[in-house]
Formats: sequence, C-alpha cells, structure tokens
Amino acid sequence: MEGKLLRRQFLKMLGAGVVSAWGFPGLASAQSPVLLSKPIPSSGESLPVIGMGTWRTFNVGNDPELLAARTQVLKAFFASGGGLVDSSPMYGSAADTLGFALKQLGIPRTLFSAEKVWSPAGGTTREQVTSLAERWGLKTFDLVQVHNLDDWQEHLAVLRELKASGVIRYLGITTSHGRRHQEFEQVVASTEIDFAQMTYNITHREVEARLLPLAKERGVAVIANRPYDGGSLIKGLKRREKVPAWAAEEFGCRTWADFLLKFIVSHPAVNCAIPATSRVEHMNENMAAGAAPLPDAKTRQKMVAYIESL
Amino acid sequence: MSEWNSYQIQDFVPFSADVYFRMLERMGETFWPLQLFTLAVGVAALLLALRGKSRVALLLLAPVWVFVGVAFFAQRYANLNWIGQILGWVWIAQAALLVLLAATGRGTAGPVESHSANNITGVLISLVGLLMFPLLAPVLDTSWTQAEVFGLHPDPTGVVSLGIFMIALRGWAQWLTCLVPLLWITLSALTLQVLEAPWWGALFAVAAVAVGSLIGQSRVVLARSGR
Repeated sequence: MEGKLLRRQFLKMLGAGVVSAWGFPGLASAQSPVLLSKPIPSSGESLPVIGMGTWRTFNVGNDPELLAARTQVLKAFFASGGGLVDSSPMYGSAADTLGFALKQLGIPRTLFSAEKVWSPAGGTTREQVTSLAERWGLKTFDLVQVHNLDDWQEHLAVLRELKASGVIRYLGITTSHGRRHQEFEQVVASTEIDFAQMTYNITHREVEARLLPLAKERGVAVIANRPYDGGSLIKGLKRREKVPAWAAEEFGCRTWADFLLKFIVSHPAVNCAIPATSRVEHMNENMAAGAAPLPDAKTRQKMVAYIESL
Repeated sequence: MSEWNSYQIQDFVPFSADVYFRMLERMGETFWPLQLFTLAVGVAALLLALRGKSRVALLLLAPVWVFVGVAFFAQRYANLNWIGQILGWVWIAQAALLVLLAATGRGTAGPVESHSANNITGVLISLVGLLMFPLLAPVLDTSWTQAEVFGLHPDPTGVVSLGIFMIALRGWAQWLTCLVPLLWITLSALTLQVLEAPWWGALFAVAAVAVGSLIGQSRVVLARSGR
C-alpha cells in the first residue's frame, strides 16, 4: 500500500513536470530529456505520453539470448522514465518475456502495467487476469482492457468487480486497424470505462472525427496503438525522406520518431502512444519524442499536409 | 470499413524475423548431429518410393512427422504462436495416416509408373527439400547451424514428404496426404514473405508445381477410366 501511495505521489510529480527518470534509480542518463505526461481523466494520475507496445517485439519464446536483449530494451524504456507497458494474451510469449525482464530489473516505480482479456470470455475473465499477472510476475495490473471488444459485456462486468475490490486500478477497451468503430463508439458513449485504446497515427486519423472528441467529452483516457502503422510508416520514411527542416525549427523535431509520435501525443484527447521495438536505439528515439515542445494545432495540420504530399 | 478487409498477412504473424530464424537455428544446435541421420532417412525414403517400396517409404516418414510435430511445433513454435499446438497435433495425425496407409497398402503406387511426369516432378520437389534448404546456409553466408534440414525443420520436411507422396501414392490417398504439406508450405511461404526472407517465392513455386502436377495426373487417370 505504501509503495502504491509513493508511486501515485511520484506520478503526480511527473504531472507537475518533474523529471520522470527518477523512477528508475541508477538507470537515468544525465541527458535524458523530460518525458511529458498527461493526467488520466478518471483519476488525475499522470501518465508519461510515450508508452511501450509488445506486439511481435517481445514474443521471443524461451531463447536466453533474445530474452536478455529484450530486457535491455525494457531497461532503456524505464531509464527514460517510461511508464505504460501494454501487452495481450494473443502476443504469444510477450507476457513471459516481460516477466523475465522485470525479474532481472526489479519492478520500477513508474511501471504502469496494461494487459488485456480476450475471447472466449466464458467465465474466464478473473482466471485470465490472474494467469497473466503470474506471467508478468506481478500481483495485479494497473489497467486491464477488453481486447478488440471480444465479449466486452461479460468481461467489463467482471473487470468492474475487480476494480471495485482493488484488484485492478483501471479498466478499458481496445480496437485496432479501424475495426468495429461504431460499436466501440457506443461502448465509450454508454459505459463507464477509464481507457480506450485505438489506432491513431498520422496516416490513419479516422478517430479524429468522432472517437477522440467523444473520449475527451466522456473523460476517457486514450492510448494510441500502431503509431508507426505496424512499422511500415517509419521504415518507409527513414528510407526515402529526410525530416523536414521546418519541423526542427517549429517543434524541435530531429527524427522521424519525433515527427510521428509528437503528432499523436499532441492531440488533446490522446494520453499515450505505444510504439513497439526490439532495439534499444529505437527505444531511445521513441522516448526522446515524448519531450517538449509539442506541435500546436496549426503545425499539426502542416505535418499532415506534408506527409500527404509525399 | 469491412472488418475482414482491414486484416493483412502480417497481422497473423506474431513474431519478428530474428526470433523465428533464431528458433530454427536453436533447433539445429539442440539436435546436432541428428540432421545427418534424418537426411539419410529422407534419401532412403525417396529411393524406396522410386523402387515401388511405397509402404516402407511411408513408414520411414511417419516418425519424422511425429518428431517435427512434437519437437518443433508443440515444444518451440507454440511458444511464439498459439496455432503451434494445433499444428503439432495435425502433424502427428498426418503420421498416423501414413502408418495406416503403409499398413493397409491402400492408395500406394507400384513401380510401373516410375517414369511418369508426376514421379519426375516428385523427385525434383524432394531434391529441392533435401538439398536446397541445407544449402541456403552457405548461399546466404550464414552458419551451418542455421541450415534447415529434412527431419528437423518443417519446411524441408514438408517439401520432401510432398515429393515422396507424389511418387508413392495415387488417387484419394495422394491428395489426402499432400493436403497437410501443401497447406504448411503455403502458410510458411506467407510467413516468410512477411519476415522478408528471400526464398519465400521458392516455397510458393513448389506448392504451385505440386498442385499442377497432381491435377494433371488426376485428369489422366480420369481420362483412362473413361469418366
């Protein structure tokens, strides 16, 4: 309990702009930029704007070499003040890899663990949460989400009980690739949830029209998945283009990771983007993108126009 | 947007290239020098099939399918992909089918057709599986421990078996036994395409040539029987 309070206090300090690298003593670099954070609407707790996804990248089986390599990636994430780590039972061994890495590193105070429950529910929601927590090496999770709205009514009912009894702190729903937006919108509009995870990046902006404003209005925190469109977006840009000079002048953009991630997290309704990577240097790039300054609304329009012109 | 239209092949491949190829490499490291024995088994099965000893050839292949089903799919691939357990059982079921066909002799071919176009195609496909996969290692300038070998790894095992089934079996038994290797080869080719492995096209080519040859042979058989 004391540890939880200390963590909450710490996260509030982040919200006040304190350097988040304090969360992982001994790992923070003196040159770490200040990672911005935003408050979770339902609690006011601050969450760093750059999180971490684990789809494909942390599914490494039981290979000792690859487990050690992913531990270094997670270490770099926390060293930069990272918080939210998102996984899913459909990501193969990702939960076990996180468990391995967290055992090596210890549980950082900044960790905001986010998992998912999936289909078929069939009365297994509690069992799924317990099993996943064991794989992570945690007692419970900060956030549990219903994966792709699978059996969402049954799952959410149980997750509400878990939240009420203090087993989890937040609950939410997810979608990706623009799937089932109509149903997703109905759930956000009519149900009490803390988080909504959806695909949002500079080339996939459908959610700007309805879902993001609705989440803002309903006080639901938004996690943006597929910030690099599964990797193809940033790979293509890195291969073909240089970061435009005006972006560096207007919002300190040095890399394509800066360009793409700052675009996402500068949207007023978005709390956190969750790029996934298996490489430490890419993790450092991602985390650097969470530092101020962020582009304003006018610059965001310019960014979209630029990408569309390529 | 239609939900199914939003899916791409990469959405069904939950691991990255380095992880998959490292798993193949560890498989080779773990079981070395078993590869030499399994390669010999593959060559022997091919020669037996060509000499009309189809039932013995099928019996030689059955334990190989069990081994790959357990050691590769159930114990390793399933760590990366939930479908691994199912594939493991499918490979074991295929081994049971081979034992059944070997025991009953139903659907097996005799030596009289050994120079048919279908048999020549079967030999070529088997040789691709026996030789091309191990030789990818030196061609791609990687370690021999990364070589994929018949009897240990599913791609060469599926390809060699497919070729041997084309020689050793006829009719419904041939189609039935070829189904699993054809499906795996196609699935693997799609996976390798996502992982940007340069030889994914060769697997598609093997599947296409095999299906073309099987259809051609079925038409000849139907024409001969006057149907």
